[in-house]
Amino acid sequence: MNQTRPGPVQYALLVVLAAAFLYPIWWAVSSSLKPAAEIITDPLSVGSLTLDNYRAMFADVPIGTGFANTALVLAVKGAMTMFFCPLAGYAFAKYAFPGKNVLFGVVLLTLMLPTLVLIIPLLLEMSTLGWVNTYQALILPGSVDAFSIFWMRQTIAAIPDELIDAGRVDGASEFGVFARVVLPVIRPGLAALAVLTTMNIYNDFVWPVVAVNDTAHQTLQVVLSTLAQNVTGNRIGADFATVWGELLAAGSIAMLPLLVIFVLLQRHFINGILAGSVKG
Amino acid sequence: MPALTTMARPGRATAARPGQRRRIRLSPYLFIAPFFLVFAAFGIYPLVFALQLSFTRWHGAGAATWVGLGNYAYLLTSQEFWASLGNSAVMWLLIVPVQIVAGLAGAVLLANARLRLRGLFRVAFLAPFVTPLVAMAQVWIVVFDQDYGLVNHLLNLVGLPDVGWLTSTAWSKPTLALLFLWKTTGFAIIILLAGLQAVPASVYEAAAIDGASRRRQFWSLTVPLVRRSMAFLVVVQTLAVFQMFAEPFVVTEGGPYGSTTTAGLYLYDHIAASDLGTGAANSFLLVLLVFGLSLGAVRLLRPKDEVS
Amino acid sequence: MTPSPMDRRGFLKGALGAGALAAAGGALTACAPGTGGAAAPSRLGKPSASASSVKGEITVWNRSGDLFKVFDAAIAKFREAYPGVKVDHMAVDIDAKLADTLISGTDVPDGSFWDDAKIGGQAEHLYDLSDLIAPYRDRIAPYKLSVNTVAGKIYGVPWDLDPGLLWYREDILQEAGVDPAGLATYDDLLTAARTVRDKFPKTKPIHLDKSPFLGQLWLEMLANQQGTSLTDAQGRLRLDSAEYRRIFTWIQTVVKDGLATRAPYLEPADVNTLDGGQQVFVPWAIWWSFAPQQLLKATTGKWRAAPLPAWTPGGPRSGAMGGSSFVIPAKAKNPEQAWLLYEFLCFKEPGYSALYGPSSVYPGGLSTSVPSFTPALDPAKPLFQPIDALGGQDLWKVAVEAAATIPAAAPIPAWWAKSVDYLGDNLQRLMDGTMAPDDVIGESAAKIQRNLIDRS
Repeated sequence: MNQTRPGPVQYALLVVLAAAFLYPIWWAVSSSLKPAAEIITDPLSVGSLTLDNYRAMFADVPIGTGFANTALVLAVKGAMTMFFCPLAGYAFAKYAFPGKNVLFGVVLLTLMLPTLVLIIPLLLEMSTLGWVNTYQALILPGSVDAFSIFWMRQTIAAIPDELIDAGRVDGASEFGVFARVVLPVIRPGLAALAVLTTMNIYNDFVWPVVAVNDTAHQTLQVVLSTLAQNVTGNRIGADFATVWGELLAAGSIAMLPLLVIFVLLQRHFINGILAGSVKG
Repeated sequence: MPALTTMARPGRATAARPGQRRRIRLSPYLFIAPFFLVFAAFGIYPLVFALQLSFTRWHGAGAATWVGLGNYAYLLTSQEFWASLGNSAVMWLLIVPVQIVAGLAGAVLLANARLRLRGLFRVAFLAPFVTPLVAMAQVWIVVFDQDYGLVNHLLNLVGLPDVGWLTSTAWSKPTLALLFLWKTTGFAIIILLAGLQAVPASVYEAAAIDGASRRRQFWSLTVPLVRRSMAFLVVVQTLAVFQMFAEPFVVTEGGPYGSTTTAGLYLYDHIAASDLGTGAANSFLLVLLVFGLSLGAVRLLRPKDEVS
Repeated sequence: MTPSPMDRRGFLKGALGAGALAAAGGALTACAPGTGGAAAPSRLGKPSASASSVKGEITVWNRSGDLFKVFDAAIAKFREAYPGVKVDHMAVDIDAKLADTLISGTDVPDGSFWDDAKIGGQAEHLYDLSDLIAPYRDRIAPYKLSVNTVAGKIYGVPWDLDPGLLWYREDILQEAGVDPAGLATYDDLLTAARTVRDKFPKTKPIHLDKSPFLGQLWLEMLANQQGTSLTDAQGRLRLDSAEYRRIFTWIQTVVKDGLATRAPYLEPADVNTLDGGQQVFVPWAIWWSFAPQQLLKATTGKWRAAPLPAWTPGGPRSGAMGGSSFVIPAKAKNPEQAWLLYEFLCFKEPGYSALYGPSSVYPGGLSTSVPSFTPALDPAKPLFQPIDALGGQDLWKVAVEAAATIPAAAPIPAWWAKSVDYLGDNLQRLMDGTMAPDDVIGESAAKIQRNLIDRS
């Protein structure tokens, strides 16, 4: 790649930008360690350190359950997305078949429909199936999603057809061509898909909030929304300050696993792939 | 759909032996079957329900009243509907072009092996993407507060007057756009990084041997090769911008004076007030609009070697 | 607690009541609305069992936060009185969930806390509680009864009453020579504000809120004080009236005379102008009381509460601003037990004392609202204690005396929150001095009629 070492001016600019990007996160984490009322009265200062918000949060909301359920949904739904979406993307990118345009149009339509309008009908369907308060309600709707198929289609479309035809000439089955020829080539795209899928599932709350009523099935974001209502609800009530502290504490803890995954994987995620492409 | 689907060339089934043909004919259907199974199970009913709903007046209880195209007619003659589209269009202009440029710059930068402190920069630019919005939105309220916010404090230090970041109709959109950019530029970087890394290094090596300048390498090699990723990004971010509702809902409640009532928030307002028929009609109007916009964007960014 | 005679007798009231009771045995879903076209509300009748023999398990939803803990303690008291009823008390995001859950009709809670403003719009999914509330209705604050009554039927068990009060800086008024007891009308308040401003030119004494939503909620408090509200019981708009015009004209005068501090409720700009001595009068609901207790550092102890001034000499001295009640969904599995819980919390002395009295969360008691059950509102029998942050003032006495004057209103239309885009915004324009009262009325009324009323 066109790799030049940036000059001092560029570095200065980058450092300022990085600081601006990190500031909001730093604010949220440091505020979660402040006495609750000070978050409102003195939002920009670094107050005296306290773990009160965390203590209160752990006592008030089932955040442990939230983590466990999110992990479960992430594992199953994520695996489904990572397997089925590249496959569908491959079909749309590299095959000519009758009805393809219409079928891909359906995929795009589901991507373009605002989730908000589908919530009530989907909830009615779940209630007919008796699936309210179940893991399948959290996992199955949206488990093979249009966004991921679209992304995989774009990624796979970039592969030269010659490569695929060569795989066929070698006598591989159609799935074999996908598994042994296509997948290795789109590793960067798959890595991106893995990260995006993790984010989407981890941060999804619009559907989980209505699909699940009992404590046992709450995901992390459902737990967060329980706290957030008192903050977004126009501050009516005596405790919005304390709830603020709890929300920031829960928010800080919620982003921790993702940040750790990022920091641990970023080297692998970017360097490893580059090294591979240098060889190729 | 022609422009979107023909961006990729169909596989050349003619190269296959006769025994393979049948498999090749069947395989794509098998490969896309999981999506359509899930869609049949959990997509069709809500979709048909919503479509039907868009022709009725229903508030969630009792029988729905058939109003034909009434909801559509109401929306298309509502000043508020057009204002919400206008607000989203401005947000789109403030966000999407900036994000494409910033995302590409970020991707090129973070892929640069000779950059020092690379780990720090990667975390800094990608981390906002993983944060929970409701907590982060409060940062915007605090930092951009007109009287006591950090940003105006810094402006005052260099002798500039206060700006009503969230309280003036002129600045509320840029301030919200900044929140959206902060939160999702990491997403753009990830998408473009993946596109960038699909460019084989040998191509650059060949170009370097040919003596192409780095600037020329960027414009004549990098940009064309990430076009597909850029097209994808433009489409999904257009969707995201027009459906955006959580950011204005939490930070500005759509104000001041409706200046941040985006198309998504306007739609949300119908549903929150249990005006479900209007909400559904609004959704389908948005789908039409967003589809048209996406089509246009993809046409513009289509790789040169592909014709529809 | 000892069960009331009513509980022990356990008679059934009316055929519909009996029907609902039978349905509760298993076939309840059959008569619940939402699934069919007809919208005949289910009517809940009196439970037959005595306190000690009532059995069952109920799930009740509540908001999270400190209030949740207070309710937890009060529910423990309920379990002492009704040992057979198990209560699963859950903190959920009610605004995001309850309406959708009611529409879907699956796994609905047996009861839920809900904003008064939401109840009118969802009445068809709720139990009609008229028969159960009948024995208490003479003793419920008229405002709370009116917001929970849709087409003559009562759908919510009225919980808190949130009287508006005039919060003022005691020290500044003293220095300016203003006697707070003399603030009998809004004209008196204007005069006092001018006096204060002349004495302390840096003050802009009267708080006019900068949030469109809270601004409109505040407007409704001032309207309620005059016995009106945005719509009447039939849902007709009554914005174009002498009462609203009186409020808007008063606001216009405050703005023109430079007497207003424009700040968003308890955000930093508000906290700083409150603490910095710029704001002297805050006409606001009783829940403002936690500001001097928790947020104001420099001026804690210097604030006091008085009844609101009256719009006309001798008129009511308060109006309601916000409030919540308890609803029992028509598809609740154990509606009777849920009713017993809410009856206990709202109408029984041990219940409301547990909620408002001293608790581990609020050692001095819950002072951000008062009960809406009038027997609880005895000025001589405070549920919460005098407040140090108000210089030891007995807020209870001020609040319940003001609360007693609050007139009835009408059920809050389902689109109320959405009307903020029109009325709330135009009210802000009025407060910014860029719109005249008649235009606020004319423009808001036209928009609300076309976009909200005609479509509901």
